[in-house]
Amino acid sequence: MSSPSLDSSRAPGPHEHDHAGDDHGGRDHAGHDHAVQPRGARRRPAHYLWLVGGIGLLVTMVALRSITAETGPWGLPNPVQDLLTLSTSVVVESLPFIVLGIALSILVQVWIPEHWLLRILPRNPWGRRAVISLFGMFLPVCECGNVPLARGLVRRGFTIPESMTFLVAAPILNPVTIITTHQAFGFDDGILVARLLGGFLIANVLGWLFSKHPDPHSLLSGRFAEQCRLDDGHGHGHTHSRREQTLDLFVRESSILMPALVIGSLVAGGIQVIVPREVLVSLGSDPLLSVLAMMVLAFVISICANVDSFFILPFASTFLPGSIVAFLVFGPIVDIKMLALMRTTYSTRTLVQLTTIVALMSAGLGLVVNYVA
Amino acid sequence: MWRSVQRWRGVVIIGTMAAITLWLAVTGQLALYIHPRYNVFTVTMAVIAVVLAVASVAGRRDHDDEDAPPPRRSQRALGLTAAAVAGLFTLGMVLVPPASLSTATADQREMNATAGGDEASLAAASTADEASIARFTVREWAAILRQTSDLSFFADKPVTDLVGFVIADEDDPENVFYVSRFVVTCCAVDAQPLGVPVHLPDWAGTFEPDSWVSVSGEFASNPSSSSLQSVAVIPDTVDPVEQPREPYLF
Repeated sequence: MSSPSLDSSRAPGPHEHDHAGDDHGGRDHAGHDHAVQPRGARRRPAHYLWLVGGIGLLVTMVALRSITAETGPWGLPNPVQDLLTLSTSVVVESLPFIVLGIALSILVQVWIPEHWLLRILPRNPWGRRAVISLFGMFLPVCECGNVPLARGLVRRGFTIPESMTFLVAAPILNPVTIITTHQAFGFDDGILVARLLGGFLIANVLGWLFSKHPDPHSLLSGRFAEQCRLDDGHGHGHTHSRREQTLDLFVRESSILMPALVIGSLVAGGIQVIVPREVLVSLGSDPLLSVLAMMVLAFVISICANVDSFFILPFASTFLPGSIVAFLVFGPIVDIKMLALMRTTYSTRTLVQLTTIVALMSAGLGLVVNYVA
Repeated sequence: MWRSVQRWRGVVIIGTMAAITLWLAVTGQLALYIHPRYNVFTVTMAVIAVVLAVASVAGRRDHDDEDAPPPRRSQRALGLTAAAVAGLFTLGMVLVPPASLSTATADQREMNATAGGDEASLAAASTADEASIARFTVREWAAILRQTSDLSFFADKPVTDLVGFVIADEDDPENVFYVSRFVVTCCAVDAQPLGVPVHLPDWAGTFEPDSWVSVSGEFASNPSSSSLQSVAVIPDTVDPVEQPREPYLF
């Protein structure tokens, strides 16, 4: 952080402080935006207190963690302990992707000039969506990281159907997923090709369908729509420095995404403790049932697209290839954790429609592969 | 109160979780949750999260969404509930000691459903020398057992110090248990139990399910009449051991 030295913090002067941290915002507006001065003045002494407080809290947490780790198992009943272990593992696996997603979202919203992103896009809506569905190639985040990124794109002027096209396509059409899927399956049974084409197709059809919606803003959740309106009204990006905007966005996105991530992970973990896996696995060799079973498995297990090929590989010997494709296409787009995360941005009604469309198309794709391959 | 919770819940949760993740990495316990190939990525992102979280708290200031209209009562209740659930879970991550998955999960996932079925491993096993057979883990034995029950194949291939946790065979819980390990391909969510059946009448008198043991012995025709496993280890020794630092096989 570019915080001023201790000396300058003792010698008062809100202007000096603002200048130390801001690249342009504070300076430009200090004169006519009277909100800036009291803010700068009030922040200065508290600044270090909060810094110390924040570090102190984290150190306390880690200290508590080390102490409780040594006092031995608490004797939680097995299912409860496993619920916690499973949910924690979903959280620990997803957390880095969420952080990456938030970081890229901040990059797109704050640090990349607006016209860059919009200029490279074709004007024709189909062409635009086709290009947007390939964004994942240079923003390699899996699906949970894509939610903050898609939110960032909407606030950056993308239409809502376009944000969905991105959200659906990017986890599949991205270099990490392509590499891991290739490592796991090679070109066997057309699984890799079907996954990529299927993801592209579903994303574009979905974007096209939602672009027919008469009032796209009603697709958003109330809270997110509210935030977008606030952005428009305030003309964000002019009143605050980039550093402040960065931290602001981090606070806001984590506040919305973290509870959703935890709740999604808890539900995903809970279902795994309750539902026996063999119920699903016993359906493996029927062309239709295997596809449905794999989609249910993908929905329940909620793991990231970047790594799901390794998960499904051991099942490849017992399940038909079409069902594997359905798993690999459906899972990245819709699962328990994703629904919780997407609910932060889209309305429940939208999510029901989205799930229905994606489920039907993935099932169709799986059946085609089963009968053709 | 409402606004502070709403605003800061995420930073507190993400900061705490990232800090705990770093602690897990330092103490070598990240392997309880994810495959080691993701360690570097996970630790890097956790460091970024900690830095951003601390910076956000330090750079605290008034916010423009404070002039947003007050939320409806139902929304507020929902937001507080979500914060409470997420907060409790985070506290659980801080206070409940990390543990590996138990028999409760193994029971829900069919034993050996995904044991490697490739013939290469069987071929490799039939030509393996004594030293490498002695190093076989539950994974290799489970793959072999899935492909052959030919006793002559096992003739000169003893089981040496096979480590795993104890879980009862559903079909003959009194006389047969599995020495079992979870195999993890990505994270603990996808853990698949693999196990080698061991025939030891009244084993439950000596060992608890979930406890870790080391088994040595020979494969033979399974004497149990109700177990579906035709081949089992007839143990020479079964010794209790500590849970290994990496309880899963990767």
